[in-house]
Amino acid sequence: MNANVWVLTFADAFSIATTLILATIGAILTERSGVINLGVEGILLMGAVTAFLVGDATGNVWLALLLPVAVGAAMALIHATLSITLRANQIVAGLALVIFGNGLSQFIGKPVEGKTRPVVITPIDLGPLTDLPIVGPIIFGHDPITYLTWVGAVACSLYLNRTRPGLILRATGDAPATVDAQGVSVARVRFVHTIIGGALMGLAGGWFMLARGTAWSQAATTNGIGWIALALVVFASWRPLRAIAGAVLFGFTLQVPFTLQGQQINILPPEIVQMLPYLATLFVLVMLSTPRARKLLGAPKMLGQPFVRDER
Amino acid sequence: MNVGNWRVDLEPRLTSPKWLYAAVPIGSLFCAFIVGGVFLAFTGHSPIGTFALLIDRGFTSTRGITNTLGTATPLICTGLAAAFAFRMNLFNIGEEGQMYLGMIGSAWAGIALAGYLPGFAAVPVVLLTGACTGALWVLVPAVLRAKMGTSEIVSTLLLNYVALNLVNYFIFGSRGFFRDPTTSFPQGRVIEASARLSSFGSTRTYPTVIIAVGLAVGLYWFMKRSNYGYETSVLADSPNTARYAGMNATKLTLSVLLFSGALAGLAGAMYVVGPAGKVDPGLLQVGFGYAGIVVAALARYNFMAVVLTAILFAGLREGGASLQISTNPVPISIAVVLQGAVLLFALGGEVFRRNRLRVRRVQQTVGA
Repeated sequence: MNANVWVLTFADAFSIATTLILATIGAILTERSGVINLGVEGILLMGAVTAFLVGDATGNVWLALLLPVAVGAAMALIHATLSITLRANQIVAGLALVIFGNGLSQFIGKPVEGKTRPVVITPIDLGPLTDLPIVGPIIFGHDPITYLTWVGAVACSLYLNRTRPGLILRATGDAPATVDAQGVSVARVRFVHTIIGGALMGLAGGWFMLARGTAWSQAATTNGIGWIALALVVFASWRPLRAIAGAVLFGFTLQVPFTLQGQQINILPPEIVQMLPYLATLFVLVMLSTPRARKLLGAPKMLGQPFVRDER
Repeated sequence: MNVGNWRVDLEPRLTSPKWLYAAVPIGSLFCAFIVGGVFLAFTGHSPIGTFALLIDRGFTSTRGITNTLGTATPLICTGLAAAFAFRMNLFNIGEEGQMYLGMIGSAWAGIALAGYLPGFAAVPVVLLTGACTGALWVLVPAVLRAKMGTSEIVSTLLLNYVALNLVNYFIFGSRGFFRDPTTSFPQGRVIEASARLSSFGSTRTYPTVIIAVGLAVGLYWFMKRSNYGYETSVLADSPNTARYAGMNATKLTLSVLLFSGALAGLAGAMYVVGPAGKVDPGLLQVGFGYAGIVVAALARYNFMAVVLTAILFAGLREGGASLQISTNPVPISIAVVLQGAVLLFALGGEVFRRNRLRVRRVQQTVGA
């Protein structure tokens, strides 16, 4: 085994991180408004199958990335209607979305099951930067969406912390009654951010299919990445910039099993190695549950609580 | 909310009329069939014909309903597992993994212990071992939740993927204890005959269905009448009240999650003493752990209603499976689409049970 393999592993970790960052930031925007959307995994799957089908039908990469965004937004709209307008239990509504997305992606993806992906997002060549040793492949060897995602994460952080709508968003998650008293509609803030969040999750699924997937197979496509993104939200303590760091770290644990398998390193059976990302995520969650860590986290105070004016 | 000249309000009801309790699930089912029908029509299948076949194969034919009851048996258990935890606001969504562990544990007992046990004890011991391993699988998330308040949602879910790989390891990845040593084909080792139950006649319904229904009735009665049932419902409604009243929240939380895990483990064990007879990776494709959550939510966490919704869902699955072998095969996933849609509609419909929809005309103010 040589150092080159680990460079490639890191490059892959940064690449997988794109999906995780997009999905995590989608979830952060949603949760900062006080809505918890557990349907990430279902939205990722629907995004992935949409990208595949659109790519298969049109052969156009950009169209195949755009429609998953719309599908993600539509699924988030279902969640927003249920949890904001109809005040249903958000946990169960999110789970329902996962089951619905699971079934529907399998159903509409059935005709193309096992087919190889029709279109591919190719990395852009940044000339001398890409040719740099080590840093080249890790940082400068990616496709446009990956770079847009990094910019997007920074923009999202500025939006949350430096703009007035961002302030209103944070207040909506922490003290909706205050926002309401200011004459701002809590429901509107929550609707908008839940839908934008869903759109980002849809993009995450679509990009994952076109950049990282090989063939469409419902059972193997996202493989729990949506749930890892939800754990990442806690890990990133609801802050977009920390989500980047966390996503790379988690991307690394997701990629290591493949590297070990590819290198024929059999210290552990492959099935056991496959468990590691999930166990690592669980471990991180445990570490974050100590009272000291909890104080630093700062979850939105009204997360998952519907807002009813008369009751406050 | 204003729509044109009309004002639409949701006003909380003090009491819900009885008929609404039945109308919401039935209405949701109807709406879900419409959604499913749209997708069927788009993919070139006849909605009416498909649903008629689905209902015949799942419910109304003799073979259909006995198959359905057999399929429903483990689903009742995972449904009870979800209902037991969810009604306490403990969202154990790891039934899937706990069920796999129940399968592993009961297969271990069926292979290693059953030979030394008198005939009448073999099946109960195997079932109980499965329940215990299921409970063991939720132990870590349960302790974390009870002691440190770590959200059980993500932790129980993550363990599903670990459990899935564990089963794969036992059957495909190793030539260990659980694998059939007589063949190179990767399959589970069959448990002792004394630990297996035979089905009723030529049907696929196993006596375990009686245990599953008995558990539902027992739980319904126990949680209504016992001190424990009272304390858990107080804790669910108001953790502060429970604390002032001196109830031990840590212990209650822990016990509810562990028992929920045991019920899910029992589902896997019933599969082992019944139709499978071994650790069968086939169960990994079925997703009964996740379906159990839908069943419980649709039953509004009522244990008796869980039995009915589980039979309904099992019928959809049985019917859905038979659609695959018709002339114009419909993917079995249509059953999962229907399940998800039913739940989404039921959640929305719940609002109309709890609230009254009032539509009034509003005067347009001048200049508005």
